[in-house]
Amino acid sequence: MPEILNPRERFSLLVIDEPQDRVPVFPLLTSAAAPLAGVPLRDYYTDGITMAKCQLRAQERFQTDFISIFSEVGIIAEALGSEYRYPEADLPVLNQPLWQDLEQAQRSLDRLQTAIPALPDRNFGRLGVYLDAINYAYQAIADRVPVLAYVPAPFTTAQQLVEPESLLIGLVENPDAVQRLLTLATRAVIAFSRAVIRAGALPILVDPLASGSVLSPEHYRQFALPYEQQVINFWHRYDLDVVLHICGATSGIIGIMPETGADLLSIDQIELDCALNTVGTRVRLIGNFDTTTLWLARPGEIESRVTEMVIKGKTAPRGYVCATGCEVPIATPPENLAAFVRAGKIAGEYEFPPGRKRSR
Amino acid sequence: MNELNFGYQDPAPDRITFEEWDDLFQKIPDQLIEKFHYFPPNTEAWSKYLFPPQVFAIYGARHLRRLKFDNSLAALRLWGFVNNESERLFRARQSGRKVIAVMGDLGPLAVLVNAFPGCVPFYPDCWWWTPFAMESDVLLDTAARLGIGEATCYSRAALGAFAKHSYFPDPDLIFAATGASCDDYSGVESLVARMTGNCLWIETPLRLPDDTEALVNLLVSEYRRAVSALEDLTRIRLTESMLAKSVQRANEVRRLTARLRRLAYQDAVLPALEMMLVEFGCLHYYSDISEWTEILRHLTATAEYRRQTSQPVNNPDALRLAWLTPPADPLLLTLIEDRGARVVATEYVINQALTLLDESVPGLTAIALSHLNGSLNGTTAERAALLISAAQAHQAEGLVISGILGGSHCAMESRLIAEIVKKKLTMPVLEFDVAPPHPEIDRSTRTRIDAFLELLRSRRCRKF
Repeated sequence: MPEILNPRERFSLLVIDEPQDRVPVFPLLTSAAAPLAGVPLRDYYTDGITMAKCQLRAQERFQTDFISIFSEVGIIAEALGSEYRYPEADLPVLNQPLWQDLEQAQRSLDRLQTAIPALPDRNFGRLGVYLDAINYAYQAIADRVPVLAYVPAPFTTAQQLVEPESLLIGLVENPDAVQRLLTLATRAVIAFSRAVIRAGALPILVDPLASGSVLSPEHYRQFALPYEQQVINFWHRYDLDVVLHICGATSGIIGIMPETGADLLSIDQIELDCALNTVGTRVRLIGNFDTTTLWLARPGEIESRVTEMVIKGKTAPRGYVCATGCEVPIATPPENLAAFVRAGKIAGEYEFPPGRKRSR
Repeated sequence: MNELNFGYQDPAPDRITFEEWDDLFQKIPDQLIEKFHYFPPNTEAWSKYLFPPQVFAIYGARHLRRLKFDNSLAALRLWGFVNNESERLFRARQSGRKVIAVMGDLGPLAVLVNAFPGCVPFYPDCWWWTPFAMESDVLLDTAARLGIGEATCYSRAALGAFAKHSYFPDPDLIFAATGASCDDYSGVESLVARMTGNCLWIETPLRLPDDTEALVNLLVSEYRRAVSALEDLTRIRLTESMLAKSVQRANEVRRLTARLRRLAYQDAVLPALEMMLVEFGCLHYYSDISEWTEILRHLTATAEYRRQTSQPVNNPDALRLAWLTPPADPLLLTLIEDRGARVVATEYVINQALTLLDESVPGLTAIALSHLNGSLNGTTAERAALLISAAQAHQAEGLVISGILGGSHCAMESRLIAEIVKKKLTMPVLEFDVAPPHPEIDRSTRTRIDAFLELLRSRRCRKF
C-alpha cells in the first residue's frame, strides 16, 4: 500500500512544525551509493551524472526520504587550490593543502580573497560535478524527493587549505591569522552554496572537523560557530530550512549549536536523550544511529536498535528525522541498510492525519 | 520614484529569468526582506515572504525555473506571497485561525467567510496549478486513485491535495458550491465531501435575466446556511456591519485589480503572468486580504510609475491577444510574450470575483448579486459577450482559448465562444487543450501558437 505522503510532502510538513505520517528516514547515504550501483568511487565523484544516477538508484531501492549530493569535504578547498588525488576505489585524498602553514597562508590570503567569484561557474574545482548531479537528480525526482547538497563549512574547509597541524596550533598561537583564513573560507563557502541553491538543491552545512573530537567547546565557539552562523544567515536570507551536520562527538557543544541559527541539527556521537533534553525544544533533530553498527551488525540487531532510537527520537518536540550519525560506510551490506530504513519507517509512524487511526 | 519601494530603485522594467532574479535578489536590502510579513501586524520570522522564485523551486516548484518574471520589487513580493500560500494556511491554523475551504463558486463565498474575524478562506480549486508548478503527476495520480482520472479538468488536483493532508490543513469547514458551475469540479467536490465529512453544499442557480429577485433570494437563503455554519464554528454572531466591512475590503481588492488590469492591458506595464496572479487574487486574496491589498497597492504604484515614465515591460505594439480560460500551464503566458505578443483582455471564468459588490444593499444580497455576474452560471453567449467587450476595449487582434482536456465548460463552451467571437469581431481564434504537466510546452501547441502569431502579424501588415 503506498504511503500517504511522499518525501517532499513529509519534509515540507516537518519544517513548518506540522505532523507527518511518519518520521523521515535519512541514512546519510552518500558515496556508499556508488558501490551499491556497482560504480567505481572515482567515477562517482568526478562525474555528476553518475553521482546522480547512483543516488537515484539508491533512493529507489531503499525508498529513503532524501537525495544526498556529496562525496567528500575537500571540494571547496580543492576549488581554492588544495591538491587531491583521485584513487579509483576510494574518495579523494588530500595530497597537498594550498598552504603549508598559516604564515604562508597570510601572505596570499588577500589575493585569493578577491579571486573568489560571487557566483562561481562550473569550473570552480569540482563544482561542475555537483551542479550536474543536482540538475540531473532535480529534474528526475525533485517534485517528490528533496535534493540535498552537502556543503563543507568554513572550519572544515580551512582545515583542508592549510596543513591541519599548523592550523590547530594556530588556534592557540595565532588566532587572528586563523580568523582571517576562516573569513576567506566563509566567502568561498557562501559562493559555492549560492551555485548549489541556484541549481535547485537544499544545502546542508557539514562541519565534521569542528566536532568535539577535534575542537574544544571554547574553540568551537570562537572558530567554527561564528562562520557557520554567517553561512546560515546567508541561507536564511533565502528562507531555506538549514541543516547543520557535525559528526563525531558533540556533547560538549550541543547546547550552543542552535546559536548558529540552524533549523535542524544532524548529530552523531551523543546520547539522543541528552540532545533531546538540551535542544529538543529549539531545533529539529536528525540522527544518530551508529554507523559502525550499521556496517557490522546483523539486520535483526539493526532493526531493534533503530526502533529503540526512533521511539526516543519521536518525542522531539520540534520534530525528528531518523538518520545515521555520519555517512553510511561504503562497505555497508545492502540488507543492513534495508533493515535500517524498514525499522525507521515502522517505528516512526505517527497517527496521520492527527486524530485518525490508520489501518494497516 | 515608486514610494512603496521604500527607497529601493527598481531596474528598468523587464521580464527576467529565474537566474536573473537570483542576481537581482542579492541587491535587495536585508531591511526589505525583514519588512514584509503576512498576517500583519504579526512580525514572526516565519511570516516573511519576500523571497525569490528559486527558493520555491528548491521546495519542488520546478516550473519556476522556466518562467519569466517581472523584475520589480512589487512583483517579487507578489511571487513570494503567492508561492507561500500553502505554508501560510498551516500558519493560520497554528496561530488559532479557522481555515475555511470554499469550493466551486470562485469568489463570492470568500467575502462572506472573510467577514468572520479569525477565519481564513481559501479555494482548493486553485491547487489545479500545483501539478504544473511542480511539473508533477503526484496530485493528479492521487485523484485518479480516488476515482477522478484524466478525462476530468486539472482542478481534480484539489482532490489529491485533500487526500494528502499536506498542501493545506484539513479545513475547519468546507463550502462546496454546485449547480450552475463546472460539472467536473462538482464531481471533485462530491468526493471531497465524502472524504472529509464537514462539507456544506451551496446551491448556485443558473442565471436567468428575468428572475434576478428570485435568484438572489435563493442565494441569500443558501448563504444564510453558510452564515449559520460559520457562527456555529466561530461562536461569533455575524452582524450587518461586519459583512459591510468585508464587502468594502473585497471591493478595495477588486478596484485595485481593475486599475491594474487597465494599466497592464492598455499600457503594457505588467506582464501577463503576474496579471493572472493578480486577477486570481480576487478569489480569496491568497488567504490574507490585508497583506494582499498592500501588495496590490505596491503593484499599482509600480505600474503607475512605469506608465508615467513611459517604461512598459512589454512592447505596447506587441500583438494584442484576448485570452479565454486561464492557462493551467503558466509557461504558455511566458511563451506568448517571448514570441512578441501580449495579453490585453481576459475571461478567466472569474468574472464574479472581479465585479464590484453593491455597497448600498445588504451584504448577503450584494454577494448574491456578485455571484450572478459569474462567468459560468450564465449562458455561453453571455460569457462570449464578456470577452468580446474586453477584447474590443483594448483592440485585441486575436483570441487564444486554452482549454482543458476533459474540462466540461471547456469542451462544451470553447468552440461555441470561438464561433461567436469569429463572427462578431472577425478575429482569428486559436483553440487548444493544455497538455498535462511537463517541463516544456508540447511541440504541437508551440507550433500552433507560432503559426497563429504569424497569421496575426500578416493581418496587421495587410491593414497598414
